[in-house]
Amino acid sequence: MSSAAGPDPSEAPEERHFLSTAEAAALERELLEDYRFGRQQLVELCGHASAVAVTKAFPLPALSRKQRTVLVVCGPEQNGAVGLVCARHLRVFYEPTIFYPTRSLDLLHRDLTTQCEKMDIPFLSYLPTEVQLINEAYGLVVDAVLGPGVEPGEVGGPCTRALATLKLLSIPLVSLDIPSGWDAETGSDSEDGLRPDVLVSLAAPKRCAGRFSGRHHFVAGRFVPDDVRRKFALRLPGYTGTDCVAAL
Amino acid sequence: MSSAAGPDPSEAPEERHFLRALELQPPLADMGRAELSSNATTSLVQRRKQAWGRQSWLEQIWNAGPVCQRLAFPLPALSRKQRTVLVVCGPEQNGAVGLVCARHLRVFEYEPTIFYPTRSLDLLHRDLTTQCEKMDIPFLSYLPTEVQLINEAYGLVVDAVLGPGVEPGEVGGPCTRALATLKLLSIPLVSLDIPSGWDAETGSDSEDGLRPDVLVSLAAPKRCAGRFSGRHHFVAGRFVPDDVRRKFALRLPGYTGTDCVAAL
Repeated sequence: MSSAAGPDPSEAPEERHFLSTAEAAALERELLEDYRFGRQQLVELCGHASAVAVTKAFPLPALSRKQRTVLVVCGPEQNGAVGLVCARHLRVFYEPTIFYPTRSLDLLHRDLTTQCEKMDIPFLSYLPTEVQLINEAYGLVVDAVLGPGVEPGEVGGPCTRALATLKLLSIPLVSLDIPSGWDAETGSDSEDGLRPDVLVSLAAPKRCAGRFSGRHHFVAGRFVPDDVRRKFALRLPGYTGTDCVAAL
Repeated sequence: MSSAAGPDPSEAPEERHFLRALELQPPLADMGRAELSSNATTSLVQRRKQAWGRQSWLEQIWNAGPVCQRLAFPLPALSRKQRTVLVVCGPEQNGAVGLVCARHLRVFEYEPTIFYPTRSLDLLHRDLTTQCEKMDIPFLSYLPTEVQLINEAYGLVVDAVLGPGVEPGEVGGPCTRALATLKLLSIPLVSLDIPSGWDAETGSDSEDGLRPDVLVSLAAPKRCAGRFSGRHHFVAGRFVPDDVRRKFALRLPGYTGTDCVAAL
């Protein structure tokens, strides 16, 4: 996989592996407007696939009781909604806890929150700033704070402080779509920012994924219709059987 | 699994395997609700729909049909013709599930065709239809009454016409005629939730009605599933929260790994 952060001009169109932020937004718009997917459907598909990716990277039989505890940190935008769905699916296999400090007022987020609460997934009222407490309490952390195009400044103090704490994490970190805080185009801040062990690209990898150097990179994009994939000239790995995620 | 169509009085609450359709009624404080005749749908579904939203609900049982088909009719083992699947959709929720199922079948590289003659005007159905059309899934304008034509054109048929509590009379002539044709099918038939036309409680009409090879129970098996005698019975219910499962005193099979369906 190319480690360059920018497009290779000699790269044939069908060899593209990444989407720019603008293209990612255009792809989503196409799914919503032309294909009439609902936002709820897309978030559900992505959240479910993210949970499946977690089970592939951290298979349950190999984990101890403590290692099954998962902290899911959710921001107020769509990435956070995907995190809520992911937590709900993880509940079936793991013991998720959610930290969702800055809550969106939008109906979808509220309903997803209700679903998680009704499934007895605890919501933390605050996140310890002492990272060792997180390392000891959980087996892994899911970062669902910032998606492409969301500025760190938009999400509020608690999320920002949470990200600062997560930078010092020593347990595994799984980022949904992009590592929160990275520039989605250039991957700048990839040195100072979060360094996840696992990246789950939603629909297709973003440019900054070129700088990802963790253990596993999955793409959760099976639901993207072929025509759309071709339109964005994406070449993505094959999926096996009925898998909704593929490892890159 | 019990093959009795009715409750076994000695069956311990946690041993129940089926949902009575009337339990799917809106819950009433009145304990006399057990005496009410079963009627339309799915309070289990309704209440969840309110919090969960119908789209989310449908996507949660997204894999029901296709994954069961892969389990029952794995792709590598099928010839080109056998990968062609006819999905017959009614105008109610069962039909919406069928539309989502068809879309996923397309992703999994089967070749679905949809027969959806009586279209719901509801936005969700219209959006699901658009998704299928945009994915180049053909929609038939009519279904041959000569069943041999269907047997020859397709490898299997998915019945997503009638769910529990929907009367055959409610769905219109074309669906009713389609069901009459499907009774004579000789290729495999997969029914979603209940075999269309069966009484959801008693399974009556199970002798004269559709005789599917595969039944995919959604959320939990309905009472009539006791009379199902086909090859495979799957339950697509992993998304049902434990609390809800306990509340309805259901004992369902374990799921393997991240599977969303389990074979009974």
